[in-house]
Amino acid sequence: MTVLDVRALSRRFGGLQALSDVTFSVARGEIVGVIGPNGAGKTTLFSTLVGLIRPDSGSVTLDGNGLAGLKPHRVAALGMTKTFQNVALFAESTVLDNVLTAGLLHHGVEAARGEALQCLDRVGLKEVAGKRAGDLSFPERARVELARALCTAPKVLLLDEVMAALNPAEMSEIMRLIRILRDDGVTLLVVEHHMRAIMNICDRILVLNFGRLLASGTPAEVASNPRVIEAYLGHPKDAVHR
Amino acid sequence: MKGRIALGMLIVAAALLPLLLDPRGYWIRVLAITLLFAAMAQAWNIVGGLANQISLGHAAFFGIGAYTSTVLLLKFGISPWLGMLAGGALGGLAAFIVAIPTMRLQGHYFALATLAFGEVMRVIANVWTSLTGGPGGLSVPFTAPDFLAYSFKLLRPHAYIALSALVIVTAIFEGIRRSAMGYRLRAIRQNPAAAEVIGVDTTRIKLQAAVISGALTAMLGTLYAQLAVFFDPDTVFGIAGISIRIALIAILGGVGTAAGPILGAFFIIPLEEIMNDLLSSRAAGLSQLVFGIILIAVILWRPRGFITVFDALLARWSRGKSP
Repeated sequence: MTVLDVRALSRRFGGLQALSDVTFSVARGEIVGVIGPNGAGKTTLFSTLVGLIRPDSGSVTLDGNGLAGLKPHRVAALGMTKTFQNVALFAESTVLDNVLTAGLLHHGVEAARGEALQCLDRVGLKEVAGKRAGDLSFPERARVELARALCTAPKVLLLDEVMAALNPAEMSEIMRLIRILRDDGVTLLVVEHHMRAIMNICDRILVLNFGRLLASGTPAEVASNPRVIEAYLGHPKDAVHR
Repeated sequence: MKGRIALGMLIVAAALLPLLLDPRGYWIRVLAITLLFAAMAQAWNIVGGLANQISLGHAAFFGIGAYTSTVLLLKFGISPWLGMLAGGALGGLAAFIVAIPTMRLQGHYFALATLAFGEVMRVIANVWTSLTGGPGGLSVPFTAPDFLAYSFKLLRPHAYIALSALVIVTAIFEGIRRSAMGYRLRAIRQNPAAAEVIGVDTTRIKLQAAVISGALTAMLGTLYAQLAVFFDPDTVFGIAGISIRIALIAILGGVGTAAGPILGAFFIIPLEEIMNDLLSSRAAGLSQLVFGIILIAVILWRPRGFITVFDALLARWSRGKSP
């Protein structure tokens, strides 16, 4: 059953076609990877889906609700949120207050505090709840941001490089968490540069290149797709032989 | 908890002070003005402190309040208590109208836009002579002393009304700070895009904060009009005298905290009076110069406000107690 349906999404920034006629749909409970070279439009796609960027044309439908023209807080209320590529915490607030603020979407302050502690527990950060968010290490901050997104109780969660700068142990912990979330009924879209991580957890992969959807399929299909290999490594004819 | 004790002690001290001062004297007027400015800085703190939008135009709302209640009293004989409510409604409406175009602005741009709005209001009040009396100002008519008519023989009731206003505005500030709205305002201050994405309606929350702040500031304008008895556009819509002074009090005391504006007001207003008293006969402008130097020194010494002095003292005190 489709939970997210994206039709002919396009967005131009001046002379750059950041998204061009992107169409795909995601079934409930799927983990979908979004990959592509730098500047392919992955972050723009996520920002457009949650309403931070208005598309020039095209439509996004979340669980039957059209999202055209909705601001991000309305999209969040309907069940879709994202994390930020470079981590966007409320640095001066405590870790708990960061997550609690997200819980206010569906709860009062006291109930939101309880929810926030549960979300922090899930990412293994309950013991640093009272610390100032800006004082944490980068990997910890990435997990706080994940907990904060979880605390909005999303149906669809967009993770923009949450595994950047993680060591292998931390990475497999996040991958384990992503699978648990999926088992809880959350649908996930994941932008990631670590190919092994992406191949490992994703049911399906979308490949973007120059704002266009280049390919879509299972990890194995995508990995053997000549157009994908070309996008990443260049055309064999262009290679410089010495 | 520590903050609450300090706050409680301040309120008790302030409640006893009017009894110790000559009820017809100069210092009880200074006290009433100090309490009033503390309340204004606290109302400003809702937008300036929690959302970190530094308004330099709060005189606009203050003047609207002063004029609304006084004009209603002069033209229709309406009690200033009711006039205060009308002024609060108009002040809230004005804040709503200004907030729509300015709330997307940040930092200096927001400060300049609000500054300009305050100036526009000052010019309008000077020009609209039929309503405001123009540059000549308005005098609040003296009637027989009566609480319901907001008329008193002595200054002591004014001091207590200002104190009550300070307590009420502080309670509102503290209530907002701890509520969902407070969390949302702090989120918006630190990262508006992230706040939106996790479900904060940034536009609505900023509008709500602006309207509450503007309405409260306008209501305090009525308190000033009744205390001062005479005022003109350049006084109540003044940039230096009202707008900047309000912001300065909150910033010097400690922005975003309930105790900050109170500490700031009890430092700045009496200091200004003492400087005037001591130095104004020596040389023209000397008192302002010394006052300015002291302010700069304090800001350099405690960039985050006086509140940090108390935090440090309390920390040392509690460290000394527990081994």
